Amino acid sequence: MQNLSVRHLLGIKGLTQHDIKLIFETADNFKTVINRPIKKVPSLRDTTIANIFFENSTRTKLSFELAQKRLSADVVNFSAASSSVSKGETLIDTVNNILAMKVDMVVMRHPNPGAALFLAKHIHVPIINAGDGAHEHPTQALLDAFSIREKLGDVKGKKVVIVGDIMHSRVALSNILCLKLLGAEVKVCGPTTLIPKYIESLGVTVEHDLRKALAWCDVANMLRIQLERQDIKYFPSLREYTMMHGLTKSLLDSLPKEIVVMHPGPINRGVEISSDVADAKQSIILDQVENGVAIRMAVLYLLAGQQGA
Amino acid sequence: MKVILQSVTVIDPTSAHHLKVVDIFIQDNLIKEIGKKLSVAGAKTLDCKGQYVSIGWIDLHVNFCDPGFETKEDILSGLNAAAKGGFVGVALMPNTQPALKSKSEIEYIKNKSINHAVNIYPIGCLSANREGKDLAEMYDMKLAGAKAFSDGNAAVQDAGLMSRAMLYAKGIDSLIISKPEDKNIAQNAQMNEGQTSTLLGMKGNPSLAEELMVSRDIFLAEYQDAKVHFTCITAAKSVELIKAAKKKGLKVTADVSVNHLYFDDTMLESFDTNFKLSPPLRTKEDIKALKQGLKEGSIDAICSQHTPEDIEHKQVEFEYAKEGMIGLQTAFSLALMTLEKQMDLSDIIAKFTIAPRAILGLPAQSIAVNQMASLTLFDPAATWKFQPSDNASKSKNTALFNQALKGKVISIINNHQLK
Repeated sequence: MQNLSVRHLLGIKGLTQHDIKLIFETADNFKTVINRPIKKVPSLRDTTIANIFFENSTRTKLSFELAQKRLSADVVNFSAASSSVSKGETLIDTVNNILAMKVDMVVMRHPNPGAALFLAKHIHVPIINAGDGAHEHPTQALLDAFSIREKLGDVKGKKVVIVGDIMHSRVALSNILCLKLLGAEVKVCGPTTLIPKYIESLGVTVEHDLRKALAWCDVANMLRIQLERQDIKYFPSLREYTMMHGLTKSLLDSLPKEIVVMHPGPINRGVEISSDVADAKQSIILDQVENGVAIRMAVLYLLAGQQGA
Repeated sequence: MKVILQSVTVIDPTSAHHLKVVDIFIQDNLIKEIGKKLSVAGAKTLDCKGQYVSIGWIDLHVNFCDPGFETKEDILSGLNAAAKGGFVGVALMPNTQPALKSKSEIEYIKNKSINHAVNIYPIGCLSANREGKDLAEMYDMKLAGAKAFSDGNAAVQDAGLMSRAMLYAKGIDSLIISKPEDKNIAQNAQMNEGQTSTLLGMKGNPSLAEELMVSRDIFLAEYQDAKVHFTCITAAKSVELIKAAKKKGLKVTADVSVNHLYFDDTMLESFDTNFKLSPPLRTKEDIKALKQGLKEGSIDAICSQHTPEDIEHKQVEFEYAKEGMIGLQTAFSLALMTLEKQMDLSDIIAKFTIAPRAILGLPAQSIAVNQMASLTLFDPAATWKFQPSDNASKSKNTALFNQALKGKVISIINNHQLK
C-alpha cells in the first residue's frame, strides 16, 4: 500500500500533490464500495475511533461516522457544545481520558484555529482535523476538489470562485490551499468586510461583483453565511447580503456558459442560493455529500494503515 | 565589599576610560580607583579578560505577577532573573492583582525588594484600579516610590482620561507610559494581521490599532506640553510617528521589546503559544523599521517585556493561552544578535543604560572614580545556551531554552553586592 506523507490530517497545509492523488484514488474505490448492495468492508475492523466534537456539527459528524462504520471501525462519539475549558478540563486531559480507553484514532472539531495541531503535539494517535475555527477543514476541501474532478474531469486549470464569508470560513481557506495545490485558478467573492485584507498573499484574486465572478468561473462554491462566527456585524442585513451575493436562477441562466454550483452545506435557502438553484441540474451539492463519505473513508483507511506500518 | 575587576574593557561613552582596558577597584558601593595592575589587600580579584563593563542596565518593562499570581513569579524570583540578565534596575508594570493602584501596593513592592542587588522602580496605575475611568492617586504613589504611571496592558481607551493623566503627571513632575492599542480596532485578535494570520485562519490585530493610539497620545502630549513614553512599540508606522514628534521637539520617548526586534509573526505558524504576545509579533518589515528607529534614536531604549505565565495558561489551545514570554535572562543576547550588524556595541548598550535612566529620571552615571558602583559585567563574544536549570524565573514560558545564544552576562555589581 502506498503511504501518505503525513501521520495526521491536520490541514491541506502539509499535504503534497501525491498525497491528494492517493486520497482521490482510494476514494474512487470506496465510492464504488458504498454504491454496492453490501456497503461495508472490513478494513478497519478492531480499530476504535473517537469523534470528538467541541462544536456543533450534523453532516460532518454523520459523514465521518458513516465512513467509519462502512470500514467496520468501532466508533465512539463525544460532544461538548461548549469547550472543555469552560468545564474546567483541559483539551489534553479530555482527549487523554478518551485515549486511556484504548482509542486508536481521533477525529476532532474544535472552535479554535490550531487546536488539531496543538493536540497532535501532545498525543500519540493519528488525528483528523474535522474543522478548527476559521483555520482548516481538510476533508471538506478534499471532497470539494474530488467532486470537481468527478464532474469536470480534472481540477487543474479550472476556474473556481468561492463566494461568501471568506474571513470566517475554514472551508474557504482549505479550499483555496487545495485547489491551488491541484493547479486550479481561484477567485474569492464577497462583501468587502468579509474578505481578509491579505487574502491575495494566498495566490487568489478578489472580485466583489458576483456577476463578474460567475461569468469568469467554471465552478462556484457558495459558502454558508456563518452568523454564529461573527462577533460583530460585518454587513447590515441578510437581505442586503442576498441582494449583492445571493445566487438566483435568473442570474445563473443569464451567464454566458453553464457553471457548476457547489455548497458545503447546510444551505440557507434564499440567502446564499435560492431554492431553484440548489435543486438545479448544475448543482452538485448532493454529490458533494456522497463524496464526503468516500473521501473520509479514504483518509481514515490511509492514516490507519500508516499506523500499523 | 572589595572587588577588583582586572583587565576589563570599559563601555561608557561618558567615561574617560571608554573602550580602554583597565582595572577597576570597587569598595562597597563606590568606584574607588581605576588604573592598571591594581592590587588591594583583602579585595576579591576577578579576571575579566575579554569581558566588558558598562554602567548597570535598566529594564523599562517587566511583569513580576506579585501581588496576585505569585506561582508565576514573585518579586524575589523576578529580581533574581533580572540580576542574571545583567539588570541593576527594573521598572515594574502594574499588571498585578490588585494592580499597583495606591501607596500600599507601591510600598509593598519597595519593601519586598529591600536589600536586593537589583533596584525596583514600580510603575503605578494611571487610572483608579486600572479601570480606565478616573485618575489614580499618582502623587501619593510618587511619594511612596512610583517612578511613572501607566495602565499597562489595559491601554487607556478614553482620550479625555489620557489627556488629564498627562497633564496631572506633568504637574507632579512625573511620566505617563503608554502601551498603545486601540481595542476597537484590535478586537481581541490574537496575532498580527498579515499574510501569516490569513494562512492560519486567525483574526488579525492590525498594526493600525497601535498607530492610532501612538498618534492620539502624541497629539495629547503636544496639546498638554507633557511627556509621554511609549512602551513596546512594534509597528513601522509608529516609528515614523515618533520620529516626526521628536523632530517637532515634543517630549516623546519610546522603547521596543527584544521579542519584537528578534521574532516576527511567522513564528506563529506552528501555533506555539510562547510567541503569543501583546502587542503581537509583527512582520520582517516592521522589525527592519524598529532597528532603523533604534539606530537613528527615534526609539530610545530596549526592554525585555518579561512576562511570566504558568504552564496552565500556555499549554492550551492558542486562543485560550495568555500572552507573554519571560525574557530578562535572554534580553541582552537577543538584542545583541539582532542588532550587532547595524549598531556598535556601545550604542546597543546605551539603549539599556543611558536612555532608560533618562526616561525614568534616574541620575546619570559614569564609570569614574567616586561614582556609584552600579555596573554590569558581560562578554559579548561568549556563546551559551539558556538551560532550564539556569532559569531564575518561576515560569518557563520561553521559546529559547537550549537555543544557541551569543552575548553572555557575567554579573552585576549594585547596592554593595556582586551578584
